[in-house]
Amino acid sequence: MTTNRRQHTLEVLVENEPGVLARVAGLFSRRAFNIETLNVGPTEDSSISKMIIGVAVEGHSLEQVIAQLDKLVSVISIKDVTPKAQEVHDTQPDYQN
Amino acid sequence: MAQHVPTANGTEMTGATSLVKSLEAAGVDVMFGLPGGAILPAYDPIYDSTIRHILVRHEQGAGHAATGYAQVTGRAGVCIATSGPGATNLVTPLMDAAMDSVPVVAITGQVPSAAIGTDAFQEADIRGITMPFTKHNYLVTDPAEIPGVIAEAFHIATTGRPGPVLVDVAKDALQKMTTFNWPTSIKLAGYNPKVRPDSQSISDAAALIAQSSKPVFYVGGGVIKANAHAELRQLVEILGAPVVTTLMARGAFPDSHPLHMGMPGMHGTVAAVTALQKADLLITLGARFDDRVTGKLSTFAVNAKVIHADIDPAEIGKNRHADVAVVGDVKETITALIPALKAALAKNQPDLSTWLRQMNSLKSTYPLGYDLPEDGSLSPQQVIERIGKISGSDTIFTAGVGQHQMWASQFISYEHPRTWLNSGGAGTMGYGVPAAMGAKVGAPNATVWAIDGDGCFQMTNQELVTCALNNIPIKVAIINNESLGMVRQWQTLFYDSRYSNTSLDSKRVPNFPMLAEAMGCVGLACDRPEDLDKTIEKAMSINDQPVVVDFRVHRDAMVWPMVAAGTSNDEIMIARATAPDWDSQEL
Repeated sequence: MTTNRRQHTLEVLVENEPGVLARVAGLFSRRAFNIETLNVGPTEDSSISKMIIGVAVEGHSLEQVIAQLDKLVSVISIKDVTPKAQEVHDTQPDYQN
Repeated sequence: MAQHVPTANGTEMTGATSLVKSLEAAGVDVMFGLPGGAILPAYDPIYDSTIRHILVRHEQGAGHAATGYAQVTGRAGVCIATSGPGATNLVTPLMDAAMDSVPVVAITGQVPSAAIGTDAFQEADIRGITMPFTKHNYLVTDPAEIPGVIAEAFHIATTGRPGPVLVDVAKDALQKMTTFNWPTSIKLAGYNPKVRPDSQSISDAAALIAQSSKPVFYVGGGVIKANAHAELRQLVEILGAPVVTTLMARGAFPDSHPLHMGMPGMHGTVAAVTALQKADLLITLGARFDDRVTGKLSTFAVNAKVIHADIDPAEIGKNRHADVAVVGDVKETITALIPALKAALAKNQPDLSTWLRQMNSLKSTYPLGYDLPEDGSLSPQQVIERIGKISGSDTIFTAGVGQHQMWASQFISYEHPRTWLNSGGAGTMGYGVPAAMGAKVGAPNATVWAIDGDGCFQMTNQELVTCALNNIPIKVAIINNESLGMVRQWQTLFYDSRYSNTSLDSKRVPNFPMLAEAMGCVGLACDRPEDLDKTIEKAMSINDQPVVVDFRVHRDAMVWPMVAAGTSNDEIMIARATAPDWDSQEL
């Protein structure tokens, strides 16, 4: 077992459209990122859904997970809301592509 | 995207007509495709469209042709297919385009929306299948969405890091009536590629360069995609540091330039591989630290700091830590870096003379070369070298994947961008012929040679029929070593010469010249060195028909130098069991 396994919680706003869950889940699967928990719910804006994703970062940097996630056109923004984390990863515009 | 408002705006029409009007409004002039049931409604308005539709013989050919067209023109290539197997036949080219960052828009028909999910005839979840290797994809079931989706598809495919986008349209959405409205703007909350680099990152990069004593420009395919070759040359000449161009970047910097050390990587030159390994600074421009370039990553350029300029933020730090990350279009990056570097060099001009002397010594001591076969048979490297020399530097070359591909990257001198098209990331055998078809359509006045292998050629040669019937006179050189040559080379080196299933017997079957003639091409053959030049000249003289030349070459030629997969670049071999004589080099 690796010793540098770290838990992070990401709050991800996505377009509320068919297939968006598959896009996010598929990305984690094919890039060998680990999802610990995944929660999807509505927001005040019916065109946007919120995903709360528990990520176990192992062998990848959190930055790489966020950067790959942000390449999905359906992903609008990503915040690191890990309770202890001080920094907030605002994706405008550095992680946008 | 066309800037003007299409005259059809506000008109009632079918979804199918709306699709074709949308493609016209997006500026499409040619598409490669093959109809079938689900996409059939779209083929009726295609019949009347100004867009040239080229009817392929296999949808994979359409996909690679779109890729070849895009790589030559810089515009999006378009392919179109029906549902189910038509769509799945596009999977390989889409994956190929994603790996090599090529802007391609694929249109597929889907079964009627009421039948989706019922395992209907020719139903395949192509949106689900292509999610991993499209930049984005769509399933359209409402005809009103067609213009907006097509506009978005072209925008996404061609901006930021280019890539493929697939639009799957249900048959009933094509059949229903709708009002055509081409969008005046595109709003995508989740897509906003960063084009302009931060000024701080530019000045950090310039400062790091001015402090280095062994810098090297590590140039990738992004420089060609961004049309930044002229700016690159300016930047290089300001610093006067050595340059390496990756497999995807051949032509981004002239091979004839004295600062060019050649291609790095698994089959790179000793000078290029060593320049990266011994550098104290990698000035990485539109490249992505691919495993074929780095070799064993933990031993790659261990003493080098890294400037990594790329338009895709996810490439920064993916494989190699970047000391200075520059996110943005590489043309804008280089343009901004030129004055910043001049200013930094004015304060501190590093002395690169020792470093350059070392690299030039390696370049002259270990040039690319090959031995002619002792039995007097045809050398594959010589065939490729002579084709390059005789056809000249304005020729566009495509390749399949394998030994012939590596020799074509090594022994042809590339002086201009967009003259070397190959399947770098995906390694798609069969890419060569259909990509050449697309390239010739995109650049009809250029000579286009496909350097192909006898294995690759047998995967996609049916598109020569398409070429013959549509006045697309490409030239194909089959480097016929009657083997899956690169796999055979690995068997020679790593499997005790046990040639399991790599012998194709293609000097016996098929008869390539007869096959070529059967497809409406001119078929030639050459198996003696003394006939080589006149055979190439004969092929060069035929410009009203595709030409296929069966070059029957020596079987045992190998690609050198070589860094074996999974080993360190320090283990580069210039021939079997032969390392460079490092002791004689002052490094």
